[in-house]
Amino acid sequence: MSARTVRTRPPEDLPLIPSGGKKPLAYWLYFIPGILLTLGIVVYPVVYNVWLSFHSWRGGFTIPEFVGLENWGQLMGDSSFWMSFRNIIFMIIAMVIIPTLVGLVLAAILFDVIGRRFSGRLASFLRATFYLPQVIPIAVAGVLFGWVLYPDKTGVLNQFLTWVTGSEVAINWVGGEGRTALFSVMLLMVWVQIGYPVVIFMAALQRVDPELYEAAELDGAGWFRRFHAITRPMIRPEVFVVALTTTIAALKVFGPVFILTQGGPNKATYVPSYYAYIQFFGNGTNKGYAAAIATAVTIVVAVVAVLFLRAQRRAEQKEA
Amino acid sequence: MRYRKHATTAALAAVALTLAACSSGGGSSQTPTGGATASGDNDYAGETLTVLVYENDESAMGKAWREAAKIFEEETGATVDYQITSFEDLSDTASQLFVSSDAPDLSEYNKGNGTAGALSTLGVLQNLDGFFESYGWDDKLADSLQTTTKYDENGVMGDGAHYGVPNYGEFVFLYYNADLLAEHGVEVPETLEDFEAALQTFADAGMTPLVTSAQEYPAGQLWYQLVLNDADRSFVDAYQLYDGEVDFAAPPAADGTAKLAEWVEKGYVSRSATGMTAEDAGLAFINGEAPFFYSGSWWYGRFLNDITDFELGIADFPGSTLVPGSSGNLWVVPTVTDELHTQMAAYFIDITMRPEIQAILGNAGGLPVAADPADITDENAQALIELFNEVLDRDGLAFYPDWPTATFYDDLNAGLQGLINGSLTPEQTAEQLQADYDAGTEQFR
Repeated sequence: MSARTVRTRPPEDLPLIPSGGKKPLAYWLYFIPGILLTLGIVVYPVVYNVWLSFHSWRGGFTIPEFVGLENWGQLMGDSSFWMSFRNIIFMIIAMVIIPTLVGLVLAAILFDVIGRRFSGRLASFLRATFYLPQVIPIAVAGVLFGWVLYPDKTGVLNQFLTWVTGSEVAINWVGGEGRTALFSVMLLMVWVQIGYPVVIFMAALQRVDPELYEAAELDGAGWFRRFHAITRPMIRPEVFVVALTTTIAALKVFGPVFILTQGGPNKATYVPSYYAYIQFFGNGTNKGYAAAIATAVTIVVAVVAVLFLRAQRRAEQKEA
Repeated sequence: MRYRKHATTAALAAVALTLAACSSGGGSSQTPTGGATASGDNDYAGETLTVLVYENDESAMGKAWREAAKIFEEETGATVDYQITSFEDLSDTASQLFVSSDAPDLSEYNKGNGTAGALSTLGVLQNLDGFFESYGWDDKLADSLQTTTKYDENGVMGDGAHYGVPNYGEFVFLYYNADLLAEHGVEVPETLEDFEAALQTFADAGMTPLVTSAQEYPAGQLWYQLVLNDADRSFVDAYQLYDGEVDFAAPPAADGTAKLAEWVEKGYVSRSATGMTAEDAGLAFINGEAPFFYSGSWWYGRFLNDITDFELGIADFPGSTLVPGSSGNLWVVPTVTDELHTQMAAYFIDITMRPEIQAILGNAGGLPVAADPADITDENAQALIELFNEVLDRDGLAFYPDWPTATFYDDLNAGLQGLINGSLTPEQTAEQLQADYDAGTEQFR
């Protein structure tokens, strides 16, 4: 290992990670538990789910009946399914876009202003506070938001709005006509999600040499200028990671809808995972249809993940 | 969440497939005709009977069944593993749970076509005909209560083999706050006109007179009651047993929908009901925020306990002959329960039918199905049983609105949420419900 400073290409005949060739039996023995687990809890369910999506199955001791593309055909013409996907756009706004943008600003303020001007401890405390909703189980958050969004004038949010506007507000948040139910779910998700980017971005900022900030400050750069010229480019990889993981979370979101609105009012807050759940567990008569919905979500998640990673690689290459 | 669900589902499904492959084949019920009969020997020392229920320990049923478990342990030497789950949990997972190795030996389960009926056609529940005969449950249960214990090969109730045993009855009626009524000079309404006048009086006083929840079942039952007020038994047979056409755009269904819309318009029912759970609505009534609450006998015991600052009253829904109601939930025995534990389960069920257990259930505010009237000493319990007997005498039980199809609970809630929050007109609601109803009942017609 003499080449610590210079990156050298390993000799062609000596790969860094040993691969191929003859392996002792013990080598394979170590693989068995991992392979079995992967097969049992990842590969088999996914394959089974795809298989089931081509069948009609009522559940219990009945035998699945092959129906070809019938479930998929039905899915393509199912307005509830498409609406559930449309709602995903709102989930992405609430779980990816808003938390990432706000998280970026919050992290920069905590790190660069509060952490340096006041105390690191205060910044840590505030960071923990922002992260708290991530730690609280979604069921508990749902109960909390049940009070916050209670439909008549006694609801916390309605009381707050009454206080702000000076006239009595009694908005039927979770059950209202139009978009208030979707807004309610989004509100919950923003609240839950905001801590995640803050923590990741603050950790990323630890990496940045403080001298950079000091030098910029001495040169007369204001907070926004420093944010724009130093913070933002430095933590770009983390922004990608946060955007990717939260987008995937948004695509398969289930808990908040289940807890807060149960898909209502009149199916207005259906999301694909909840729709699959209703079809599978809510006494739906064709579990194969539920499997088709779940498979569709899986495909979309996989495609989005690949596109994201590709975009990230391209951005990195451009930089280099 | 999703991955975990797939894993569980797949694992359970694998079990299901394996078991199905082992059985004699055929898509539906695999229980032998007639089912097992009582062995007569009830010494089960060293064994454990797993019982799964969703009535909490404070409810009348919970109290009675805990006592039944104690008696069972004393008489058989076995242990009862008494587990409590929630209604929603079990109704969402039963078709998977009951075919898995985690299946209880004996479980409480929801009655009706979409639930117990659907499970019976999946081969998941045991045929209990043999036990009905050996234990004489046939004679103990009134005929109208046996409608929900029998399911035919399509899972339609009323005919076929017994798949469950109800331990109690239930029905839906009007709860009122007697203090608020007195305060506003309102008599307990007896006709629908009286009721609407009373609702108007409270609406004029700035209250929401009839508290309900459209997120969960109460609004659906209110809608069904308003339909039933204009209906006769032939409608119920058409709606529940598929004996005729059901047109949501024509009377009586259209009248009920229109009436509910009118009540929302006039402020009798709040639009915010769509943002409330059944628990929210019940609590609002307990807190004295509304003079009327239309819901089932399952609230009765709790209301008697929790309401301390006003006098609680109960009455038939004004002007009704038919009301939502039926036998209570059923004891069911999954097919995967082995022979020995099936015997134990049947013996446990039989204990819950004994007069002394039924008396506990009755005195705690439940509706016993096989009690000795002389054993019911509690005055409040007597009042409820009296009201129930009136309904039984006039053959008034019309089952529940969500029973016709497996998904109608969600469908009906969705439609009524749209109606109540104003995003659907009564006509659009009728159209949506009709489509859902037709899609779900097609297989039975």
